[in-house]
Amino acid sequence: MQIPYEVEARPDTGLYNAKVGIWLFLASEVMLFGGLFSSYVFLRLGADFPWPFHELKVLPGFINTMVLIASSVSVVAAWASLKARRYGWYQVNMIITLLCALGFMGIKSYEYYFKFVHYSLKLSDGSVVAGHPKHVDDTHHGDRIAFQADRITINLKSSNLEFLDGLRSGRENAPYGEPETKELKFKTKVEKPDKSFISSDITLTDSWLKEKSEAYWALKEEESYAVIALETQKPLARQSDSDGVKADKQTKVDAINKQIAAVQKEFADKAAAAGLSETILLESAQPLTFLNKEKGLMKYGASEYSFREGTVLHGKLLADTIQFNVDTIDLRQTVDIEKSLVWKHLGTELKQRFMRYSNERVEEFKKHRPKIAEPEKNVVCQRDSLRVEFGNEKKKFMSEEEADSYLHDEKYMISVPRSEKRFYSNFSPSLSPYYAIYFLMTGLHGLHVIGGAIVLGWFLFTGRKMYLRNPEHLANRVEVGGLFWHFVDLVWIFLFPLYYLM
Amino acid sequence: MDQATEHSHDSQGSHDHPIDLRKTVRTYLKVGATLILFTFITWGVAYFVDLGDEHLNIALGLLIAAFKVTLVCLIFMHLNHERGLIYKTLLFSMIFFAAMMFLFCLAFYSPIEDSFLKP
Repeated sequence: MQIPYEVEARPDTGLYNAKVGIWLFLASEVMLFGGLFSSYVFLRLGADFPWPFHELKVLPGFINTMVLIASSVSVVAAWASLKARRYGWYQVNMIITLLCALGFMGIKSYEYYFKFVHYSLKLSDGSVVAGHPKHVDDTHHGDRIAFQADRITINLKSSNLEFLDGLRSGRENAPYGEPETKELKFKTKVEKPDKSFISSDITLTDSWLKEKSEAYWALKEEESYAVIALETQKPLARQSDSDGVKADKQTKVDAINKQIAAVQKEFADKAAAAGLSETILLESAQPLTFLNKEKGLMKYGASEYSFREGTVLHGKLLADTIQFNVDTIDLRQTVDIEKSLVWKHLGTELKQRFMRYSNERVEEFKKHRPKIAEPEKNVVCQRDSLRVEFGNEKKKFMSEEEADSYLHDEKYMISVPRSEKRFYSNFSPSLSPYYAIYFLMTGLHGLHVIGGAIVLGWFLFTGRKMYLRNPEHLANRVEVGGLFWHFVDLVWIFLFPLYYLM
Repeated sequence: MDQATEHSHDSQGSHDHPIDLRKTVRTYLKVGATLILFTFITWGVAYFVDLGDEHLNIALGLLIAAFKVTLVCLIFMHLNHERGLIYKTLLFSMIFFAAMMFLFCLAFYSPIEDSFLKP
């Protein structure tokens, strides 16, 4: 079927159909991004925390702006080349556009990656430090919770072996060593209804867990069918009596209840005899060390460590601190910066240096902005004087030699008890509304870049036949794809200053 | 308007009037260079120009961005010579956009009172 007005303009609109279509789509896109920009303004004006302006690295965003502008020029030049019937130039320009799209996404991925591996730790007094959790090795547990277990309760209803991902070692005196892949042997203990135990030796594997789980649930299924069959007799027992003879009815219902209890006991005995129970206790001959992120745990304490999927470890908590390499100190939300909890971990030498740095920045601010009556309350002054990012301010904050090595310097490594933590997250959407809307908008924009690049790539690699048949048709397609591409550029022109510069 | 309509016919892709590639691309390159220049200006304004109030700096930055967006719309997206239907469609979304940008004002005229937040 021939779609009408693909090349020629439709008389009533004066436009070919695809162009009307893309403009309607772009109009809806304006509304979508309009809503998101509105949310950005709302969040920024209503933020109850210092809005992180000038915190993103400007250079990647700046280069990306250049890249998108270049791609906008090349895509419109590709269209013009088709209009001038210069297919070779069209191809060159389209290739430039696609390379720009690739470059843009490459830079964006680089930015995202460094945010995902960078963490922020807010202490209970509001002080914030940012940096990287210490790399896990034989002596460091980083930001993981370390636990030594000698018994494990497996729940056949929900447990899987994912909890073993946190297993580091089964050796003594090497608590945080590299994970070991040796077979895990346990003695299982299943409690019988008479409170005695059935023991057996097993190797913990997926197939063992699957087999036990299936056998247990097959029994449970059988039991529930038998119970349901008895339960359905209850309404009949009630109906069969004449009204008013309540005692008789109750006798029949009680009899059914007794039968149900007998069935349940019978199945419990059967399960125990087969070494099955909803929970199975595994005992290890030697203690196992686990390192897990707090997010993966349901709860933990001095002697218990529960995973969300239902497995519980029994033993002792080894370490519950966050070992962290600091690269930023931010005391804008600290009531008394001299008494900040940060100094408990970083020491008085850095405290004095920070205080000196802070006073110098306030004086500098006063010099440049003499008209501001209370500079300490100004957000720019607060950002400059109460927040120091070593990488950016190293010349002002530390010596050249120190600046080269602070990432590996023990002085900048802190070990914060988790009880002092108010919030801990990488620079991902969960950190703050700022990062949530940053990732939402730039992520959505990135998806548009990918979508646009796929469409333009399709025109480039499959357009030759169409060009030979009707060059104007291809030109129209490229114009429509180009309009979308310009819209993507247009959104970025607003995103760049809003997120990187303001 | 007549001239605009004529241009518009060209942009719809008449077979008989192929465009002057060299001249057209030169225009696009000039616009691209202007956009790059104004990107530098936006960055300079954010870091080196102090208008005495952060809000003024933000307003200036957005004004420059708006200028850049206007250039992209008019030249790259050919909105300097388009058909009426497109302007009418865009008018609706611009009204919506403007409404969205002022929606947050409601939160400031009708804030959640402290008494509601306290138990």
